[in-house]
Amino acid sequence: MAKSKGDGATAKTRGEAIGVITKGSLVEGLEMKLDSAQNVEDMKAGKFVVIEGDKNDFFSMVTDMRLDAKNQEVLLHPPGREDDILRKVLAGTSTYNIVSLRPMLMMPKGAVDDDGPRPVKAIPSHFSEVQEAMEHDVAKIFGKEGDPEGRYFSIGNPLDMDTQVCLDMIRFAERSNGIFGKTGTGKSFLTRLALCGLIHYDKAVNLIFDMHNEYGFKAMKENGSSSTFVKGLKQLFGERVAIFSLDPQSTRARGVQADHEVYISYDQITVEDIAPLQDELRLNPTAVESAYLVYAIYKERWLRTLLALEGPDVEEFAREIGAHAGSLVALHRKLKRLENFPFMVSKVTDGDVVDRIMEYLDKGINVVLEFGQQTSMLCYLLVANIIARRIHEMYVKKSERFYATQRTEDQPRQLMITIEEAHKFLNPTAAKQTIFGTIAREMRKYYVSLLVVDQRPSSIDDEVLSQIGTRITALLNDEKDIQAVLTGVSGTEGLRSVLASLDSKQQALILGHAVPMPVVVKTRDYDTQFYKDMGCLDDLPEAERKAKIDKGTVALYGDN
Amino acid sequence: MTRVENVKERKPSPLSRFMPDEMAKRDGAGAERTYVGEVVESSTTELIAEARELHGGPSFGEFIRIEADLPVLGIIFNVFTHSIEPNRRPTAYGKTEEELRLEQPQIFELLRTEFQALIIGYLDGGAPVQILPPQPARIHSFVHLCTDEEVRAFTGNDDYLRRILNTSKVPTDELLIAVLRHTLRAHKHSRDYLVRMGKELSRLMGDDYDRLSSVIRRVAN
Repeated sequence: MAKSKGDGATAKTRGEAIGVITKGSLVEGLEMKLDSAQNVEDMKAGKFVVIEGDKNDFFSMVTDMRLDAKNQEVLLHPPGREDDILRKVLAGTSTYNIVSLRPMLMMPKGAVDDDGPRPVKAIPSHFSEVQEAMEHDVAKIFGKEGDPEGRYFSIGNPLDMDTQVCLDMIRFAERSNGIFGKTGTGKSFLTRLALCGLIHYDKAVNLIFDMHNEYGFKAMKENGSSSTFVKGLKQLFGERVAIFSLDPQSTRARGVQADHEVYISYDQITVEDIAPLQDELRLNPTAVESAYLVYAIYKERWLRTLLALEGPDVEEFAREIGAHAGSLVALHRKLKRLENFPFMVSKVTDGDVVDRIMEYLDKGINVVLEFGQQTSMLCYLLVANIIARRIHEMYVKKSERFYATQRTEDQPRQLMITIEEAHKFLNPTAAKQTIFGTIAREMRKYYVSLLVVDQRPSSIDDEVLSQIGTRITALLNDEKDIQAVLTGVSGTEGLRSVLASLDSKQQALILGHAVPMPVVVKTRDYDTQFYKDMGCLDDLPEAERKAKIDKGTVALYGDN
Repeated sequence: MTRVENVKERKPSPLSRFMPDEMAKRDGAGAERTYVGEVVESSTTELIAEARELHGGPSFGEFIRIEADLPVLGIIFNVFTHSIEPNRRPTAYGKTEEELRLEQPQIFELLRTEFQALIIGYLDGGAPVQILPPQPARIHSFVHLCTDEEVRAFTGNDDYLRRILNTSKVPTDELLIAVLRHTLRAHKHSRDYLVRMGKELSRLMGDDYDRLSSVIRRVAN
């Protein structure tokens, strides 16, 4: 039984002993016999504990717990409800609790700061004491917000603890990331948090395809029966966020003027943009080939030409260009749907929207593209594809130039593109056709990464999933989804149970590139305190606010 | 213990000088007379002592201390009363003890109460040691009941339970229950203490859950 509190040197500010290690292996994780004074109900999956070995401290996560009994007799004749003493006597002796732990990181005892945590390559000896992790343990591993580099962004607290878990924003920005969770588990909030971190610490400029108008200006907070509104990115970061809108009216109706209205001309749509819409438009494979035939002759005017035709003329047109009539007729009929979109115009008047977006991004202004009432998947897919493809081309060019000149001023800003309902873009068929598949796979070297928001990770292409650096995952129930989220992460056996047992609100498992070890957090409140931390201008006194805006403007646009 | 109380409650009678209480009062030397018995047979593991008074032995399961340089500690596991003469058994008279004391007081002089104790440790400079003493108690040394403090000090940890469980002489469970009830009283009926002892018993008894639950239940009642 664990009685001693360690000898002087080691007995620094650690939590109380909760048990001792009794068996386990490096591969399968460790088992701890819970101290009989502890209540097994306090051991929640995902809890963060420290195993104090002889030479190392092992930072571990609770993954499972089990009730066990020394002999069957006890289980056949359990003590009665009133037999309190006997129950107490049996607790920890004949009946005991085993808690499975997964060591995530180890740190040599007495290590100085730069000798940080390392991957686990050893296991603690028998009867090593297990303690609850303390604030300084967590800070040692996850860093602390407010470092001079602005590297760490607090995303929440570990379970049952009052200390920060920080994401390493530099690492977060340099790879594609995923935010997953069933519907209603707070994906949007997690996404908004992550975006706030990126924008506040200026680690990446963001392009957000905001399908449900949740990020730009005001968003509804689901709060049981009553709903309240929280601030959007525009309100928090002012000049540093620009709202582009496909549906300016809707944007206005929500009380904000879009910085730019988005119109897309038919000439901006290429066949590659249509190809990923196969599912949504129910095109058959030959339709795309027919489209290529039209494109071969009319180049960028292909869609305009095709849509200008009236029903009966299409067959003749097909014969002219040597396409299969039936197929082209079907394509024509289905593409007619595009004409219904109000943002589709025959000619754009105030410049190419992608150039404008690029201009903003170059200045470091984050762009939220709102879809207003255009919430159809077709619209979202089409627009996101068109814009992302062009942005991608530009970024490739910029990066190539930087590689050629190697001048720091040519270095492109790290760009993170946020897409929702990501499995529509990244499912195994679409991932090969949409530009997002390419970005997820190889765009890291071109300074573009994705922030994938999705409720059905199992539908995302494995190849893409395995490239996702950091996964922030709210509750998932479906076995396939859990499997998918854990794809490409080693040592995840224990995490399944953790993932399936998260609360449906404000809890998330974070694993991957931006955190040294997987951790369950109670996510940070998105409240006034948070607004303040993010430097929100609204609540500041007028003079201070103005000074700050001016300063921001100078930083963005230069002195004049 | 209960017997001693019974004896004290009795009313004085003409022949009460034969009675132990009166003798104690008459002597007036209370300090010397606090012993409950005198060792008459002694070995390392157990001893037999004669009670100072007829029917006045300590109770089953009580803790005793035998005066010596290294006072020996034991627990009572057997109390018996018999005739002084090995060949002569008391005969039934068909009268109450009260009547007999009036009519034939001498017969009580022919009876002796003796008790057997299991040695469980000793005191080394006042500190309890849960090991058998290096030397057995000496014959004719006086036996005292342990005070509550002494019991508490000796039973602070759980090693004595193993000694009790390992004896084969007596119904160990019964002894265990009696001893635990005494210690529990010394520990002011602390539930924590009982739980702690219970856990140790659970370990000692191994797979015998029925036995454990019966002991715990009876101690707690």
